Amino acid sequence: MAVQTDTAAVHRESPAVRWAKENLFSTWYNSLLTLIFGALFVWLGFSVIRWVFFEAEWEIVRVNLTLFMVGRFPREELARVWVSNFLIAGAIGLMAGAAAASAAAAAKEAGLPFTQSTPRNWLQRFWPILLLVVILLQFSQTWTPTVLTLVTIAIGVGARYVGLHLPRAVRRWAWLIVVVMLIGAYGALSWFGGVKWDSWGGLHLTLFVTVAGIVLAFPLGLLLALGRRSSLPLVRMLSVGYIEFIRGVPLITLLLMGIFALGFLLPPGVDPSDVTRLIVAITLFTAAYVAENVRGGLQAVPKGQTEAGQALGLSPWKVMRLIVLPQALRAVIPAMVGQFISLFKDTSLLVVVGIVELLQVSSIANNQPEFLGRGLAEVTLPFVALIYWVGSYTMSRESRRLEKKLGVGER
Amino acid sequence: MIKRLLLLVVVLAMVAAACGGDGAEETTTTTAAEDTGGQVAGDGVLAEVQSRGVLNCGVNNEVFGFGYVDADGNFAGLDIDYCRAVAAAVLGDAEAVEYKALTAQQRFTALQAGEIDVLIRNTTWTASRDGKEGGTFLTTTFYDGQGMMVKTDSGIGSIEDMANTTVCVQSGTTTELNLASRFAAGGLPYTPLTFDSNDELRPAFVADQCDGWTSDKSQLAAFRSQNPDADGGPEAWTILAETFSKEPLGPMVRDGDTQWAQVVDWVVFATIQAEEFGLDSTNVANYSGDNPEILRFLGKEVGDPPTVFDPGLGLPTDFAEQVISQVGNYAEIYNRNVGPDTALGLERGVNELWTRGGLLYPPPYR
Repeated sequence: MAVQTDTAAVHRESPAVRWAKENLFSTWYNSLLTLIFGALFVWLGFSVIRWVFFEAEWEIVRVNLTLFMVGRFPREELARVWVSNFLIAGAIGLMAGAAAASAAAAAKEAGLPFTQSTPRNWLQRFWPILLLVVILLQFSQTWTPTVLTLVTIAIGVGARYVGLHLPRAVRRWAWLIVVVMLIGAYGALSWFGGVKWDSWGGLHLTLFVTVAGIVLAFPLGLLLALGRRSSLPLVRMLSVGYIEFIRGVPLITLLLMGIFALGFLLPPGVDPSDVTRLIVAITLFTAAYVAENVRGGLQAVPKGQTEAGQALGLSPWKVMRLIVLPQALRAVIPAMVGQFISLFKDTSLLVVVGIVELLQVSSIANNQPEFLGRGLAEVTLPFVALIYWVGSYTMSRESRRLEKKLGVGER
Repeated sequence: MIKRLLLLVVVLAMVAAACGGDGAEETTTTTAAEDTGGQVAGDGVLAEVQSRGVLNCGVNNEVFGFGYVDADGNFAGLDIDYCRAVAAAVLGDAEAVEYKALTAQQRFTALQAGEIDVLIRNTTWTASRDGKEGGTFLTTTFYDGQGMMVKTDSGIGSIEDMANTTVCVQSGTTTELNLASRFAAGGLPYTPLTFDSNDELRPAFVADQCDGWTSDKSQLAAFRSQNPDADGGPEAWTILAETFSKEPLGPMVRDGDTQWAQVVDWVVFATIQAEEFGLDSTNVANYSGDNPEILRFLGKEVGDPPTVFDPGLGLPTDFAEQVISQVGNYAEIYNRNVGPDTALGLERGVNELWTRGGLLYPPPYR
């Protein structure tokens, strides 16, 4: 009788149990490994939760949150940061909306199905950033940042709606509006008696340097890659020389040169700010690596593609722009995003030239009278690591999404 | 193949030419800078600072008591106060300072390259730094010295008890070298355990990975006074009485501009002289006495016929009053940043006026 009940239970067991039996407990040594690692993970998870919620003294982060976010940005000018955030959110929203509308129109024209992305999609894509924002906001001491963050998000959503419903004629110029808004975002920070780059700091500066580095290094790297494959010997030699010189020098050397040696090379009276010099150094550095990534992509495009384009009577420029580059760039998305992630993390090197960037705030905070000598780096460093992780992981996920969309690795 | 080799040679030649060109350019600019940077009146750092309207001061932002940044992003500390004092003297405004936070490795380069006008970054005055780093040390603002901290229950009472022990020390600093000299002199074998910073060193000392922790006494005092009760509180740690190195910390300026060096020197002297005169930020503005020395010092009319004394340093005659009213005298600066009521909790010790047996002795202002 008892035996019968057992067999019945086996037949009625849920898929989860069956999966576990097949994958985790298939043999005696698998069962053993499952138990050992299971216990290890439970213990790890338990320790982390206990530390985060009960043991760690987050006071140091709470007090220094503004320092982590914007460094020494003058506190009476903080409104500028929010205005600039509003403009950036608006620009991103508008761009996303206009892009979605264009994609929908193109799909309709081609008779293909098109599904609009839903809030659920966005949540799936950007949950790490959302999580970080929630964590940051719970550290803030007043409600103001929370309210202003909600306003920022509202502006972004609103701008996306506007972008979706722009008349077609206006939509073609949406990029121009976006550029103007981004310049405005910079202007809100710096113009009209605002705050110059050298007083920026913290996460704000880290993001600014990262974005500026990517935006400037990509086109330069593209040109260098094309230059390296050029049939003109002078262009080719200059490109090769540049790439090999930069790749032979550590970034930290370029940063130090930018700060200390550039002064000797520039004409008197020309004195760019420290941050300008550093962005130039980072751009020059990253461009060389981007160039090699792009060159890898260019080499992956079979010669037949170029020849086919030429046979159609396309100009060399058009062959490059319409046939070769799209295939080449698609192939190197993973490598390129990897380069940009490393640029994001390399901004922590700015500390060697005395810029108050995100990572340095950790040690600055640990030298304030109320936190000195209490060993609180064990709190501030994981906090900074979380911020870097969210940034890097988001870039990585977006890259994979782009790869999927463009079918990299499938063709 | 030959063609390629030729190409390579051409490229190399171009690179070499480019490098040579750069080098030549650099040399000429440096020489030009030296030519103009010298003693020509109205053309030195002083004139430059005055026309710029702001003082570029090289500082630390990671050492409590000397140079650190508070949660609102403001610099504070003893070194910072001396930047403010120089700005108050030269520009009449203690807030007209642009702080450049520098690492230990880059501080001298920044001074040489002209990125900063004066370096006030807890820098020890040594002969080789004076000789080789292209700068000149000025009047010491804080006399520090290296000491040793041990656990109170370890039973160690002096350095001589520390044979065959492990000592935690910051790497790449004079601290490490002083430690080696001291233990070699005593014939004491020991094992050094090095760390990048005192923040990283602390957990090792707490965890008994080393028996002693050596650093500047001011820093040891700070870590000791802040030791949380979970780790035994301040009483659990003892700083040995012996001081086994001299660490005079003070401002440094570029070589070759005597006028600017004199200006910074006299700003430091003014803070000390003010304490000697009994002048501080609260009473300097309404000084109503008739001590001619004090009147002369404050740039007031004195003597018969009444004249304002100008020593010809290139500073405004009321610079001392500006410094004292805006920043304070030496005692105020000391007590505010490192004194007994701060986290460092340091008594004056040798950083006391010569009249009370200390080392602070300003030359006469006349």
